[in-house]
Amino acid sequence: MKKIFIVEDDQTVSKGLLELLTNAGYNAKIIENFEKVEEEINTYNPDLILLDINIPYINGQILLQNLRKKIDTPIIMVTSRNDETDEVLSMSYGADDYITKPYNPNILLLHIGAIFKRVENYNDKLSYKDLEIDTSKGIVKNKAKEIMLTKNEMLIFSYLISKKEHLVTRDELMTLLWDNNEYINDNALTVNISRLRTKLMLLGYKDIIATRKREGYILL
Amino acid sequence: MKLKNYLKDKWYEIVIFIVLLISILLLLLAFKIDHSLITVIISLLIFFYIIIVLIDYFRKKSFYNKLLINIERLDKAYLVLETIDSPNFYEGKLLYQALYDINKSMVENIGVFKSQMEEFKEYIEMWIHEVKIPISSLMLMAHNHKNKFDKTSIEQMKKIENYVEQVLYYVRSENSEKDYLIKKVSLKKVICDIALKNQQDLLENKIDLIVENVEQNIYTDSKWLEFILNQIINNSIKYRKNISQSYIKITTKKTTEKLLLIIEDNGIGIPKEDINKVFFKSFTGHNGRIKTKSTGIGLFIAKNLCKKLGHKIEIESIQNEYTKVYITFSNNQYYEVVK
Repeated sequence: MKKIFIVEDDQTVSKGLLELLTNAGYNAKIIENFEKVEEEINTYNPDLILLDINIPYINGQILLQNLRKKIDTPIIMVTSRNDETDEVLSMSYGADDYITKPYNPNILLLHIGAIFKRVENYNDKLSYKDLEIDTSKGIVKNKAKEIMLTKNEMLIFSYLISKKEHLVTRDELMTLLWDNNEYINDNALTVNISRLRTKLMLLGYKDIIATRKREGYILL
Repeated sequence: MKLKNYLKDKWYEIVIFIVLLISILLLLLAFKIDHSLITVIISLLIFFYIIIVLIDYFRKKSFYNKLLINIERLDKAYLVLETIDSPNFYEGKLLYQALYDINKSMVENIGVFKSQMEEFKEYIEMWIHEVKIPISSLMLMAHNHKNKFDKTSIEQMKKIENYVEQVLYYVRSENSEKDYLIKKVSLKKVICDIALKNQQDLLENKIDLIVENVEQNIYTDSKWLEFILNQIINNSIKYRKNISQSYIKITTKKTTEKLLLIIEDNGIGIPKEDINKVFFKSFTGHNGRIKTKSTGIGLFIAKNLCKKLGHKIEIESIQNEYTKVYITFSNNQYYEVVK
């Protein structure tokens, strides 16, 4: 399980984040002592750090600079400072992403997922059972057949695969698609899902995307 | 300074002089002085009196005229003392000193207000960062415990967030300090952020978002532009028609000198008599009264921000048909060169 370290001084926010990340299948830890941030990070050895700018004892951007001298763990700045200068500075100090509060939790999760993909030298090939999926070419194939998916179908399918056997809400899928500049509406999402189902059926996988009424979908 | 007015002002001196002349004349006549001598004495008196008056007039004239003309020429009239020298006559010196003191006290007074404004602005900015933290917590709580929060409470949080942003940008737009940063920005990314921000609202109200031809880079402050676009999209959502084919369409048009961003909706539109006033502060107009209360501040701030960033914002509408907002980004070669 991926480990995420939360550097945030507001307890309600950090607890909310902890819950959000745990629910999403990450292992998360909240900072305990702001005077020993770097030690805590060293001991926990996280895969990603969520870092606020306004924290006690040290400015988040200075901490970011200090951390960058030693480690290259991905860092997402999560801050209420909605300011271009802060963003440009943070990015130049080596932050991997910059998200302003209040944020949509789905977007935060998507961005975290995207960074992990990038870090792991993510290639375009995915697999599910005996299916091989090439996300960049939009092709799904097994030994017998090859089928083209549209951009939307591919986005949905690869997301479902990454969340295999977990509930994926329609909200999550919507945010995913909109985050990829596909501003579709509710009907279009339903259509995309049913087309994806039909295409998967052609490959011999019937009913692998189960519907949970009023909640979302699960890839079995 | 006019000679006529100057003499009018000296009437008592002139009257006394004439009385003096007449007294001397009578005295000389009483002593049976030779008439030609009398003429010479009186002429000399008149001649020297005129010279005294003229010398005084021209000394003052050169100072006062310069003062008046410079006041008129300067757009900041209070700086006039910097442009003139202290005069060489007593009254002028008094006036000069008085003006100097008045000016100094005014500058000090303005300084007090300026620092108060600055402090207030800092406080507001800080307050906004503070208030965003509980909003974030609420959003997280709502996400983590979907069963405890219904959609209306999330909508209300979004509203609070929007109003808070408005305050922040109002303060930024009213302040002369340059707290924006212009850099190359992907229009597509800005639009994506705005779309995500309004996703719930758009889906909830069944408004289709159509985005075409926005793969351009522009020079702007992305946060400010996001705020501006957010105000426009918010208005489009607020003033939608209750029909099934509501849409908001975002496109661009490019010419050699500029890029035109067009945000179009098929909402209720703006009445002709209101269209020129939508960017005025606190203007709510016909639409503001029929829909839930409007503050009339969003577009005002948007316009101010555009002005500071050097973009042009215009609005076009036909009531009950459409509203189109145009934002013009000049193809600024300057920034290319600076880079």
